[in-house]
Amino acid sequence: MVRFDLREYASLFSAYTELRVQENRNVSVVFVKGNNTTNARSAISGVSARVYKGGSWGFSSSPELTPEAIKSVVKAATDNAAFLDLREKKGKPPLPAKNAVSENDFSTKKPKLTQKQLVEYMKELDGYIARTYPNLTSRTVVLNSLEMEKTLLTSDGSSSHSMIPRTIVAVVMSMERDGKPVELSKTYGGLGQPEDVLGSPLDLSDLIEEQYQHLVRKSEGVFANAGLRTCVLDADLAGILAHEAIGHTIEADIVMAGSVASGWIGKEVASPLITLVDFANTFDGAPCPVPVYIDDEGTKAEDAVVIDGGVLKTFLHNRESAGHFGVQPTGNARAYLFSDEPLIRMRNTAFLPGKSKLQEMIESVEDGYYLMRPSNGQADSTSEFMFGITLGYEIKNGKLGKAIRDTTISGIAFDVLKTVTMVSDDMKWSCSGMCGKKQMIPVGMGGPAIKCKVNIGGR
Amino acid sequence: MGDAKKAAEYGLDALLKAGADKAQCLLTMSQKHEMNVDSGALSLLRTTFDTQVNLTAIKDGRRGQSRVNKSDPEAIDGAATEALAIAASSEPDEANDIAEYQPPKEFSAGSESPDLDKMHFRMKELIAMTKERYPKISLWQAILEFTLERNYFLNSNGVEFVSTEGVYRYSIVFSARDGDKVSSFNYSGFSARDLDKPVLECGTIATLFGQLEEQVTTTPLSGKFVGDVILTPDCVGDALAFLMASISDSALISGTSIYKESLDRQVASPLLTIHSKPVSEEICDGYFFTSDGFEAQNSTIVDRGVLKSMLLSLYGSKKTGRPRAVNQGQAWVIEPGQTPLEDVVKSVERGILLTRFSGGRPSENGDFSGVAKNSYLIEDGQIKYPISESMISGNFADMLMNITAISRERANFGYALVPWIKASGVTVSGK
Repeated sequence: MVRFDLREYASLFSAYTELRVQENRNVSVVFVKGNNTTNARSAISGVSARVYKGGSWGFSSSPELTPEAIKSVVKAATDNAAFLDLREKKGKPPLPAKNAVSENDFSTKKPKLTQKQLVEYMKELDGYIARTYPNLTSRTVVLNSLEMEKTLLTSDGSSSHSMIPRTIVAVVMSMERDGKPVELSKTYGGLGQPEDVLGSPLDLSDLIEEQYQHLVRKSEGVFANAGLRTCVLDADLAGILAHEAIGHTIEADIVMAGSVASGWIGKEVASPLITLVDFANTFDGAPCPVPVYIDDEGTKAEDAVVIDGGVLKTFLHNRESAGHFGVQPTGNARAYLFSDEPLIRMRNTAFLPGKSKLQEMIESVEDGYYLMRPSNGQADSTSEFMFGITLGYEIKNGKLGKAIRDTTISGIAFDVLKTVTMVSDDMKWSCSGMCGKKQMIPVGMGGPAIKCKVNIGGR
Repeated sequence: MGDAKKAAEYGLDALLKAGADKAQCLLTMSQKHEMNVDSGALSLLRTTFDTQVNLTAIKDGRRGQSRVNKSDPEAIDGAATEALAIAASSEPDEANDIAEYQPPKEFSAGSESPDLDKMHFRMKELIAMTKERYPKISLWQAILEFTLERNYFLNSNGVEFVSTEGVYRYSIVFSARDGDKVSSFNYSGFSARDLDKPVLECGTIATLFGQLEEQVTTTPLSGKFVGDVILTPDCVGDALAFLMASISDSALISGTSIYKESLDRQVASPLLTIHSKPVSEEICDGYFFTSDGFEAQNSTIVDRGVLKSMLLSLYGSKKTGRPRAVNQGQAWVIEPGQTPLEDVVKSVERGILLTRFSGGRPSENGDFSGVAKNSYLIEDGQIKYPISESMISGNFADMLMNITAISRERANFGYALVPWIKASGVTVSGK
């Protein structure tokens, strides 16, 4: 994307204004049972402006990246804010600010792979799976690369340029049981362009073998015994628990709309074993899956410690909600496309590790489940969450038993977190999360394994 | 409009000049005017413009697709070159093709510009009527948008379609609060050609608001039972989505669909008839042609429980050797039943009224489980009380076969027309 110097348009700002130029670049390659069903690229770019006047917002965007279009969106956004302000007359004060100037570019330093090389990679991966596991009834391999490049200027002095890429390979394997399909999928990859994420397809062979062995056991799986059960949630699940169960409930816009967490700051909401952080960009010295250094309102992004030793410490804020609650914004306002306005979003939400070993956690369960892989999830204003489980095992007398069929778990998050009795000492990040809330947005999720009680669906 | 059509023609020419054997260009120009209510107050007015140019090139049986959101010659030339480069990198596939010649046609529906003052009036009215009639309801977010979309579809077989469609769309997320007690959130939406009716008179919004006020106090179920479920119109789509995904390209090409041999066979109760009517007067938010360039026609997908059409694209059709669908689904119109909703409820011995399903993605074989949100326990033909922390599980394919009643009443969402559907054999479990 051509770099834009947006400072020359600052003279057009007549109220608090954000001006953003953005390009999202996608590569998608799909093989379904050996058929190359998708081979596509896209580049979606444009400019947007958002203006705040007395408590009302105006927004406008255009795909054209010309000086005229930029001037036009600033004017249209200003007019829209004036339209609402004239009618609503809220008379609200200016927004709190924590300005920053930032440059963060995760572009690869390696020679760029061609589309043909990417297709060859996926073809080789598909061929490897077909050759190695001939008894699969179907397989799908998906390459998805997303690059988000943004240039931002705000009227109160923040500016930034960022290029944050993510490359994900998904492998879906299917086999039949009694003539009906049984499926298991797994994603690989994370932060970076394909050149930095993809090695050789054979690098994935051990992980694919592990996925296949789980699928074989799942094909012989049993229904979970529905009801409230003691479960060990593996790290992959803890991440989605952090995101769905707690994260959404404490997004300040959800709190202001009526979330149960309203008024719970400073209260004990979880076991003392639980500490939950929405990391801005760095964990343990390394970049998080979706690093955010400055958000799309120009706020310097900082870690938000949401739950510390079981006590709720903060909500997640944009500038407006920070003003409402009288706190500092933490850099959680993010937009997906150039034509989207920033919303309060999580970034890299994770439980912190504890002191237990996974094996001893499993051994401590007399009758329950070890749940390993999630699918989709959803949260609620009551903090009741659910997420799909695509891989799990029974635990009988401290030992892993039969695999279980696809199911769903649910619970009241703040109640479930009070049942946590063990937290493992390791930590895994899930790098392929895509969260939907009016817009989609890439998110990171992470955590250790957690032993707790949840409702499990089944028969 | 003239410039946009010229840009689409330029795109098709650019693909052919770059060496495509077959080519298609879909250019979409859209403008959206959107009013947002956040936390009960009008907060944002958005005006966005976009242009999407989707180019498809086929050369030597290899297909490449490229998409940009610029329509100037330089951008289109670049995208055309890229589409050919992507095609060169693809695997050859005899199923890659474009739509055959159809006579040129122009379509239009709805108005071409929004009435911003009336949009503002309807949203203020929604806020005021909600406060007056449903004081416990909190409007998390209510969005009213007007979208005008102009589509230009051209391909090298001479297909030339132009469509212009303006439509208003509402989406509302809400919860209820009574002191310290909060309900689960719920959501719904609908499409409309105009703004003649207040929001609370459209779709299922008023019904859901009334129910949600009751749901600030819920009772968790204990134990489990196998019983009936009445799917309300807002969650019929969950059961439908499984069926439709299973008769679409991906599941049929991969061979994982449980319906792969079910054409003209019974896949649901004889009570169920499902149409897809993208060009019907009953639907105000349909489409005029498919993304692969065929004029859309209305069709019956399930006729009295018998599967009458798969939802295969041109590619999926050639890949599987089965007939191409005459549309690309959606715009669902489900035939009403004979039974008044009141009697459907009365016929339930033990079960639940499912108002929102929050569930994991169903298995390829149709197994599902999830939380019964905003739902009610029904016993002895009576709705007893709102429930919480309750899960349901079953199999969507079985559920379609086990439909025992369909209501005479239907909800009109503008984009779909849907009744209440009762099915048996669902496991309901509590704590």
